[in-house]
Amino acid sequence: MSGFDNFNTDFYQSSYSVDDQGQPAGYGHSNTEDPYKQGQYDYSQPMGYSAPGMMQPQQPYTGQIYQPTPAFTPSPTQSMYGSSFDDEPPLLEELGINFDHIWQKTLTVLHPMKAADGNIMNETDLAGPMVFCLAFGATLLLTGKIQFGYVYGISVIGCLGMYCLLNLMSMTGVSFGCVASVLGYCLLPMILLASFGIIFSLQGMFGIIIAATIIGWCSFSASKIFISALAMDGQQLLVAYPCALLYGVFALISVF
Amino acid sequence: MRNTSMDGTDPSQLFDDTSAAPGVQPTGFQGQGVGTMGHPGRTLLSDPMSNLAMAYGSSLASQGKDLVDKNLDRFLPISKLKYYFAVDTVYVGKKLGLLVFPYMHQNWEVSYQQDTPVAPRFDINAPDLYIPAMGFITYILVAGLALGTQNRFTPEILGMQASSALVWLIMEVLVVLLSLYLVTVNTDLTTIDLVAFSGYKYVGMIVGVVAGLLFGRTGYYLTLLWCCISIFVFMIRTLRLKLLSEAAAQGVLVHGARNQLRMYLTMSIAAAQPIFMYWLTYHLVR
Repeated sequence: MSGFDNFNTDFYQSSYSVDDQGQPAGYGHSNTEDPYKQGQYDYSQPMGYSAPGMMQPQQPYTGQIYQPTPAFTPSPTQSMYGSSFDDEPPLLEELGINFDHIWQKTLTVLHPMKAADGNIMNETDLAGPMVFCLAFGATLLLTGKIQFGYVYGISVIGCLGMYCLLNLMSMTGVSFGCVASVLGYCLLPMILLASFGIIFSLQGMFGIIIAATIIGWCSFSASKIFISALAMDGQQLLVAYPCALLYGVFALISVF
Repeated sequence: MRNTSMDGTDPSQLFDDTSAAPGVQPTGFQGQGVGTMGHPGRTLLSDPMSNLAMAYGSSLASQGKDLVDKNLDRFLPISKLKYYFAVDTVYVGKKLGLLVFPYMHQNWEVSYQQDTPVAPRFDINAPDLYIPAMGFITYILVAGLALGTQNRFTPEILGMQASSALVWLIMEVLVVLLSLYLVTVNTDLTTIDLVAFSGYKYVGMIVGVVAGLLFGRTGYYLTLLWCCISIFVFMIRTLRLKLLSEAAAQGVLVHGARNQLRMYLTMSIAAAQPIFMYWLTYHLVR
């Protein structure tokens, strides 16, 4: 079903173009998105957005990136990275970890009142969320709760639920990686809650107020990013509510 | 040996690049076992057997994906489901108010646009699936919370509550479908509509349980009574337009066995809601 393909490709390939909304600093890769029209997969994208910066000095390998090559070629007809060691991209770039972007996204989460830019979720980056999940589990460990299993299970179920809901509610679809990425980034204030839990017990009235504030902060940021990236109007509270339920369960783990 | 049989090798290279040219496949196959530096990932692909395996595996994966897509669309009509989620905040707010206080609302007709019903966003009388879905999940979480305050909480209980509520929902929808079939009502109520209507009672249940948590048993009983009556009136007014014939829906007394049957059917569907609401919540409030 061709319609279902939309659900797998990242949303920025749809007809709605967020590129026209001005050029934010550090995200000037809108002009590189044209070559990405035919079914690419996430593997080539992280290299794509850092390619403009590398365009001039390293001609041989950047030219290869814009070719829509399939996942596994039966024979390595040409090497992707040139034939010599010098032409190889740096390791972080090859892995798709771009610290600048991670920092930008973290700042977006930490300033819930500032309007979000739709472009920032164009590359699904799971490195940041991984770090945040592990940090959350580690802070819980410091309070004496060894609950990595619950954190993992709830995040998987929550991501699945949000993925289904957002695909049904929005005009353009989302990919699962994008949902996981956004939800993982917005877990950052939860780490703050868990670290409060190290210092004093959260089970009093004060703890409940702090937990409620942080749940609101997390879900507000997540819904803000989702609706700016998916162009859903008048639905922010509707997206924020399931996010609040998900983060509420995380807060329950932290508090009790 | 390896160095001499490779073509296109840069003499300044310190290692063999087995990923480079296709002509060196046989020797490349022998040479890759010894650690070639630089492109460890590439040596896997230069091996013809693993290439075949990868190509086969990826074609299998895409076949599987096509199969899933085709069959998923048969079981879950995604585009029809999308209609029920085309809601916005204003609609949800008004609908929740209507579920708790349906007495002032005058016009219960669903508006149509060239034979297709208008999206819920534009018509408050249209059924949606967002509220039932969120209501169900909130009900499970509130049930967990209520059991937690009574120190009866274990994670298994959440699963049990969820599955029992789901089973009751499915059974209710099946019974309603069966009775609609037996009474031979000509209606445009689809199965998803029935699921939506059956899911609206979770709102009242949640309000009742929360009131019970805050104000004790009397609060629970009072709010549950209010919500039961509201959902009864809501269902009667909504289903009346869908199940009864035109004339009877206007309020004119139409005699005849069929209309009586339809009226009884509407009343029993509406009366089932408060019963379920009480059945699914009374054990949560002590």
